[in-house]
Amino acid sequence: MRNRQLIPSFQRPPSRVLIRRATSYQGELASLILESLREFNLPVNGKTVLLKPNLVGLDPLGVMNTHPAVIAATRESFFRLGAARVLVGDGPAMDRDTQAILESVRLSEFTGKLGHDFCDLNIDDVTKVKLETRATRLKELFLPKTVLGVDFLVSMPKLKTHHWAGITLSLKNMFGIVPGSCYGWPKNVLHWAGIDGSILDINAAARPDFAIIDGIVGMEGNGPIQGSPKAAGILIFGEDPVAVDATGCRVMGLIPEKVRYLSQAGTLLGHIDSMKIQQLGESLASVCTPFAVLSEFRKLVA
Amino acid sequence: MSASHLAESCFSHLRQRQNHDGGWGYLPDSQSWTEPTCWAVSALASARMESDSAALSRARSFLLSGQLQDGSWPSNPEIGTGSWVTSLACAVLSHDQEAGHATAAALEWLCKDLPRTNSPWLRLIRSLRPKSNISAQNDSLSGWGWTPGTSSWVEPTAFALLSIQQFRPERLPHAVQRRREIATAMLYDRMCPGGGWNCGNPRVYGVPGEALVLPTAWALIALRAFPDHERKSMSLAWLEAEFRKIRSPGSLAVAGMCLETYGRATPAVKLNLEKFVPKQIKNCAAHVLAWVCLALNSHRKWPAPLRNGN
Repeated sequence: MRNRQLIPSFQRPPSRVLIRRATSYQGELASLILESLREFNLPVNGKTVLLKPNLVGLDPLGVMNTHPAVIAATRESFFRLGAARVLVGDGPAMDRDTQAILESVRLSEFTGKLGHDFCDLNIDDVTKVKLETRATRLKELFLPKTVLGVDFLVSMPKLKTHHWAGITLSLKNMFGIVPGSCYGWPKNVLHWAGIDGSILDINAAARPDFAIIDGIVGMEGNGPIQGSPKAAGILIFGEDPVAVDATGCRVMGLIPEKVRYLSQAGTLLGHIDSMKIQQLGESLASVCTPFAVLSEFRKLVA
Repeated sequence: MSASHLAESCFSHLRQRQNHDGGWGYLPDSQSWTEPTCWAVSALASARMESDSAALSRARSFLLSGQLQDGSWPSNPEIGTGSWVTSLACAVLSHDQEAGHATAAALEWLCKDLPRTNSPWLRLIRSLRPKSNISAQNDSLSGWGWTPGTSSWVEPTAFALLSIQQFRPERLPHAVQRRREIATAMLYDRMCPGGGWNCGNPRVYGVPGEALVLPTAWALIALRAFPDHERKSMSLAWLEAEFRKIRSPGSLAVAGMCLETYGRATPAVKLNLEKFVPKQIKNCAAHVLAWVCLALNSHRKWPAPLRNGN
């Protein structure tokens, strides 16, 4: 079972976040990702790792989902770090034909045949998890046994703005672990409970151990599906998903403290304060790429 | 692999995957869930094999024992609240005379299961707000949601309509007729501008939504019982055009059933199932296996192509 101990941010040591330039999905992504992961000394030797990409819909052009080249390179890197098994799993929110989504992104062309190493989290077996944070009125959620049972969980979002939440990065990406078989397509009960609070509840119940943001090409405007592609040419890595998201936010020219759920996550799930984030690799200033946001979210713009 | 061999293979996998409690999990060796059990029952019952009677009897017991006090069914027995799968369970038990009380209670629950978007409080708020460009749908038109107390969505509404169609009028609660009319209007209201349906967002921030195969096929199958409508024709045309691109077994099977329901089945339906399903059978979830079995059986009981008198 995943560690669900909540630690107030003032008791947490500073978080390290690494930004790497990567301008294309072709080329030596695997070596770049492996080298980046080595910076963190991750405890994955002999362990089962689950990569949770953002597979939100049919995407033949590779605009809205975490790019399969990044998923494949990350999987290969975790194997090289000694992981015994590296699963890939997601529970798409809007379309229950996960197989159709996988085929539209041509995932197996990049990863090879995954077979049972791909887990459709929408139809996985579930376990009831009591929600300690109570950021919403939801007292419990049924979550996939695979997510709760792996040794190491990696959230792998795409760098995107979002029409309801402002941004969607590694924390919002965890909506995808909530099973459609219980809650539907979309997982509407979370919307009614409040998106911001639900993000906190889910991440407190199953906090990712690591986050990798695919910002090689992101999405701006009316994301997560209908926005426009926006190249930022970066990958962001870190053990603290909150700090990774705060950094992603700053890369997009947005203020993390003004993203409601991120601001709240900064109190007990990780750091958003730039003084508590040790920035490695490229400097923020050198990679900052302002993303357009819907008018409702202009207040987020730095 | 020929269509008959494919059907045989899917049935074989399906039969092997039944759990000791009589239900089916989505995946091999997984806990029993209501949805895959309902589709498996539908597929096996449609096959009319005497040798399946014991399996069907155990499945029936699993379903009946899983019904909640309020008449609904939960997605799986560990969950204490009813959901969209109530429509499926009610439909597959509709011909079971000994399940009359269970289906009557389920129909009552379906009638009372109103989306929260139609609460008096939210209606008042909507009437006071300036018109928003966030979404284009008419939220006062209620269908059914995935879970109680949320919004209306296309697929659960289609399943509820399909379930209700299984019963003779005298077995239906009085409120059903009005719910059917409004739910049908809701489906048309939620159609994407270019035809077809997605989960139920035809337009967000002024951008037209893109239709998806499964919601479109289920909505069309559910609407088959209703008079022709230009939006139905438009959506059928979308699905026919889209069919050529489908490769995944689930969408192929349900789209195939839909096209057959409308008398539009072409040899491509079976050909594509024969071509794309066999290599994926082992990894197919049980409900998808059942959909393929149903798509390859033109004598299926539910969801059946409409016949005279329906």
